[in-house]
Amino acid sequence: MAETQLDDVRKVFTEDDGNEIVAVNDVSIDIEDGEFLVLVGPSGCGKSTTLRMIAGLESITDGEIRLDDRVINDLPAKERNIAMVFQSYALYPHMTVRENMAFGLEESTDLSDDEIATRVEETAEMMGIDPLLDRKPEELSGGQQQRVALGRAIVREPAVFLMDEPLSNLDAKLRAQMRTELQQLQEQLETTTVYVTHDQTEAMTMGDRIAILNDGELQQVGTPLECYHEPANAFVADFIGEPAMNFFDVTRRNADGDGAVLVGETLEYAVSNDITTAIGDRNELVLGVRPEDIDIQHSDGNPRRADGHTVPATVTVVEPTGDENIVYLDLGEDGSETAIVTIDGMSRIEAGDSVVAHIPEDAIHVFDGKTNEALHNRRVESSEPRAPNI
Amino acid sequence: MTDGGTTEERSTLRRWLDSDIVQSSPFWLPPFLLMGFFVYAAIGWNLLLSLTEYSGFGDPDYSNLGLHNYRAMLDDPGMWAATRNTFVLLVGFTVVCLIVGLLLALLLDREIRFSRSFRTIYLLPFALSFIVTAQFWRWMYNVNNGIVNQFIGLFGIGPYNWLGSPKLVLGSVIFALVWQFSGYTMIIYLAALRSIPNDQYEAARVDGASTVRMYWRVIVPQLRPAMVSATVTLVLFALKAFDFLYATFDGYRPRRGADILATKMVRESFGRSEWAYGSSIALMLFVLSLGVIAPYLYNQYKRGNL
Repeated sequence: MAETQLDDVRKVFTEDDGNEIVAVNDVSIDIEDGEFLVLVGPSGCGKSTTLRMIAGLESITDGEIRLDDRVINDLPAKERNIAMVFQSYALYPHMTVRENMAFGLEESTDLSDDEIATRVEETAEMMGIDPLLDRKPEELSGGQQQRVALGRAIVREPAVFLMDEPLSNLDAKLRAQMRTELQQLQEQLETTTVYVTHDQTEAMTMGDRIAILNDGELQQVGTPLECYHEPANAFVADFIGEPAMNFFDVTRRNADGDGAVLVGETLEYAVSNDITTAIGDRNELVLGVRPEDIDIQHSDGNPRRADGHTVPATVTVVEPTGDENIVYLDLGEDGSETAIVTIDGMSRIEAGDSVVAHIPEDAIHVFDGKTNEALHNRRVESSEPRAPNI
Repeated sequence: MTDGGTTEERSTLRRWLDSDIVQSSPFWLPPFLLMGFFVYAAIGWNLLLSLTEYSGFGDPDYSNLGLHNYRAMLDDPGMWAATRNTFVLLVGFTVVCLIVGLLLALLLDREIRFSRSFRTIYLLPFALSFIVTAQFWRWMYNVNNGIVNQFIGLFGIGPYNWLGSPKLVLGSVIFALVWQFSGYTMIIYLAALRSIPNDQYEAARVDGASTVRMYWRVIVPQLRPAMVSATVTLVLFALKAFDFLYATFDGYRPRRGADILATKMVRESFGRSEWAYGSSIALMLFVLSLGVIAPYLYNQYKRGNL
């Protein structure tokens, strides 16, 4: 149990030819005691490097990492009281499960052999791996190995758990199951956990908070719903959510009365005053809207009143997933822009249909076209269930 | 119906000709015959010779076979000395080579793993022929002006007659052989080390192991298969150290204290024309080699690697 603080942590790798690569760029995160923090981002964003710096496997170029107010920058891994679960599990192949689990306690504590044996057996029982204790890793299935790797970390009773994509080698079903189990385990143990993944579903479902990294820079730290509904920038908006948010490059045109019109290739979208205030005098903008926030309606049905929030579209592909359909649209008359919409799984809509897409104003996000920074986010309180889309 | 039996015979022949073993024989039969004749038949003939009293010129007499050569071995003090020396060479050379090779491999592996540069300098001695190394070490060990004596002379020790003194000669030979072979052992270990993922090192470090403990408990145990195969090769080389000794001592009469079974075998046969006695020594050597290789093959067989 410990509070962990990353303070302007920086990692620079120097290549053989003297080139410097900034892998982690002044990242600051305060991880509370007992918190489950997920570090998420695309490959090469520096999330694993950050984790490895906390573990002591990678030196810290600049900045400080503190564990309960103690700077651990130069402490060897042994003295950090941290346990790590590796993506490959990294079980020692020549040792039995029991020996694998005891190894960390033997190396990092002064416990007697009896105490170690007791703790290993207790943890194994809790994890349900006690029948496997005398087997070697090669005799275990992937799921069992994963469990042993977790057990090996838990038995140490560390201050912080570090997990580097621990579920990525499991099949989809087992992964979903382990996701829940890991969360329950973490709640039960109340141990601070830093979890690295590139899978935004894992990040959304598991984390108390998630920290999104891109190109070594921290984009946003927040609860999953904050990051989903109030992304700090277009990157976060794009990364969190599946299917991803729709983006349209637009410019601003002042309307006759109040508000303004955001003009894109196929879109002419009227926005009200509070949004124009948020936009200020910026002209290059990006309009974003989540797939589930767009309504579509057959164009031959009851025509929706033209409120400046609709655009004609053609359905190109429909992917049914059961509970919902993912619909791909070509927008405008010439279909030069595309959008993805998710609608109820029972709706009848087919490829080739002509539809009208309605983008409600309270669901839109507006980003600065140059800095990608969020200027306006959707209103969260208005997200009560709406009428079926069609 | 009268020729039913013939049909049956023909179909049996047909079936026999169609069987996998006959159909595949062009592939396995030639090497099988060559190996059988030149290796296994030769071993068999050698066994037969060792039971005769064949010596000098003439032909062996196969009518009176017996174990007298083996009995003679028991009474031959030279035989005991050679066997003892063979074992000392075998064990000393193998163990030292394994340890030196392991240390070199671990050092070099850290270098490669952590800074990505590579040196082949350690393997160079292995590329040299025995004849070259032998000549080279003869100069090194020279009593009057060899580098070894010059060097220890700086500390006021020596000079020693490294290759002349019966007490020192075997150690000197082992040292030279270790110099030549530890590079090979290192390469075997290095290959095994390269196949251990970085995760293993990192997991051990996060688990709190110091560098020495990490190697001792996590990395070195994983080198066991490499160690086994290196040991087998080294032991076989040690049993055949003949050419090194031949080159070092200008023939198959090594100094007292450095005679091994291989040199004695050749000396008895081709020096003294005691063909039968030489054959029985050869068979001893064969049994020893088998004693080394059989457990290894059995182990491989059990693991399904054969």
